[in-house]
Amino acid sequence: MTTPPEECRVPEIGSEAPDFELAGHPGQRRRLSELRGAPVLLAFHPSHWDPSWAECVRMYNRMLDFPAICLDTGPIARRYGVADGAAVFVIDGAGRVSWRHTVGVAPPSPNEVAEALSACLPTSVGADSGGWSRRHFVATVVAATLAIALTRRVARAEPITRPRAATTVGSGEAVKLRVNGRELSLDLEPRVTLLDALREYAGITGPKKGCDHGQCGACTVHVNGRRILSCLTFAVMQQGKEITTIEGLAASAGASGDALHPMQQAFIDHDGFQCGYCTSGQIMSAAAMVREAWGPADDDVREAMSGNICRCGAYPGIVAAIQTVRKNPATAQRGQR
Amino acid sequence: MKPFDYTAPASLDEATRAGARPATRFIAGGTTLVDLMKLEVETPEHLIDLNPLGDRDPSLGSVSELPNGGLRIGALARMSDVAWTAPVKERYPVLSQALLAAASGQIRNMASMAGNLLQRTRCPYFRDTATPCNKRDPGSGCSAMQGFNRSHAILGTSELCIATHPSDPAVALVALAANVRVRGPGAQPSAERTMPIASLHLLPGSHPERETVLSPGEVITAIELPPLPFARRSLYLKVRDRSSYAFALASTAVALDIANDTIRDARVAFGGIATKPWRATAAERALIGKRATAAAFRAAADAALRGAVSHRDNAFKVELAKRTLVRALTEVSA
Repeated sequence: MTTPPEECRVPEIGSEAPDFELAGHPGQRRRLSELRGAPVLLAFHPSHWDPSWAECVRMYNRMLDFPAICLDTGPIARRYGVADGAAVFVIDGAGRVSWRHTVGVAPPSPNEVAEALSACLPTSVGADSGGWSRRHFVATVVAATLAIALTRRVARAEPITRPRAATTVGSGEAVKLRVNGRELSLDLEPRVTLLDALREYAGITGPKKGCDHGQCGACTVHVNGRRILSCLTFAVMQQGKEITTIEGLAASAGASGDALHPMQQAFIDHDGFQCGYCTSGQIMSAAAMVREAWGPADDDVREAMSGNICRCGAYPGIVAAIQTVRKNPATAQRGQR
Repeated sequence: MKPFDYTAPASLDEATRAGARPATRFIAGGTTLVDLMKLEVETPEHLIDLNPLGDRDPSLGSVSELPNGGLRIGALARMSDVAWTAPVKERYPVLSQALLAAASGQIRNMASMAGNLLQRTRCPYFRDTATPCNKRDPGSGCSAMQGFNRSHAILGTSELCIATHPSDPAVALVALAANVRVRGPGAQPSAERTMPIASLHLLPGSHPERETVLSPGEVITAIELPPLPFARRSLYLKVRDRSSYAFALASTAVALDIANDTIRDARVAFGGIATKPWRATAAERALIGKRATAAAFRAAADAALRGAVSHRDNAFKVELAKRTLVRALTEVSA
């Protein structure tokens, strides 16, 4: 089957939005055209670079009183002219494209945002426009915001090349990180820590910011398989390394799908947490600690884990979880790539 | 944090030249520097990352044998790696123990050996930019003198500063009489020098802002452990407020050479109580030639702390340090 070329073009402002069937529960399938009467926000994104994005859009949906639809790249994206990138569309209540932005490396230009906002002015409200409304205004503003947010996150697939001569990085240059097996290219100042780069720029929020001074261990990640504190190193220093966060821990040990890393399962089995804030750091620290040359005793675990603080006091469960993993020959030396 | 530019040098030459500029800091593990930069206690305009040099020259980050029977530790070797290295554990257990008593597992994986030696001597007032500190802001006064000074030093202090040198491994290295190899900007070999680690750190004196004898642009390239057979009988004992991941209130590195029930040679150094890693030669002299008895250990401890100057909250450290030394000597001679 060939795709007619006109379907690859980005729909014009004011043209009818290409209709498609919305994903939903079986028996509840609806089409985009059935949502008319209210504005709809469409966000396209390549899912491979940011698993937190879908959650972001789900949050928008909870906050807004109109639908925000998050779509992967695929046949629908191609019908909206989005081949392999990120884009945001606002569909008005009459089912027509009222604003669009294809996300590149730059945020929407002031002109584009001005156009979107001027479209919301009363003079532009036509009797047949499908009804500009407060909701449509909010949808457009949120879409512009989303487009800017996406810009910060967009990954540029450039090969990593090791510099031959001295390289000096000033402000806001591309920093290339390999996180959980994926290449990320982020515009960062040198003063951005690895923790902030992961959380605030890449949307990888598993590593937590507790003290931000290396005292609590909540930000623990693996670099080349070793546990480190992501708050005490700059992202620019970690280029070319294999960075693993809690999001990628199971996969790094060979698990597939939703399967957990043995240490994650052990923390569940032994109640190794209460509030959970320190837990991703505890698990990352523990998963690396079992590969270190510690003795077999509970006290050895306590000593090895002293850089991870738990305010809830889940320590007995944490020690039990780690000892379970260490005593099981199948999981004791479960390594990473 | 203040903005800065970041340079990954391609060679040691480039690094030392770039590092000699004003307002420049080298970074290796970053575990102290990044923390102090967040507090804006450290505000470099240029940051030189030494880590890429280790990728090019593996000897900068590894432990190897020296022809004289000693060990060479590359400056960029990580604390955890050195601690677990078999020749270090077997021949210099005091160093392995000191490394494992320092910081936390994550920090030991990051922190370099040379960076540990060159971490700032610091106290809570040094970290707090809202309070006067002669080290951070020369001439502004010392907040610790009349402040809460429980964690502060009792040996090597001056009227201007009583901050404690925080390193554990440096204490072991001073006891082992290690040497540090230093490389500065300029052509080899004039740019290279070797010094005993005991000469690396400065007492605060009238310039507490100066902590080492290194000139701008100079980096440590290696730490060399001399052969010391009796160091197989050595121990690091660290006393702190909690059992792990805390600075020493008092710590000691000891090694004893005992034959025929007599102490032939001894090494004693202290941490947690002094403004620099503190070799206690008076204690060593008091031990040599004596039998390994509790009385001899106590006499050595008294000799070591004879010059101690305490302040309102840290007088307990005098007796604590003595007992720490007696216990360490008792354990290592058992």
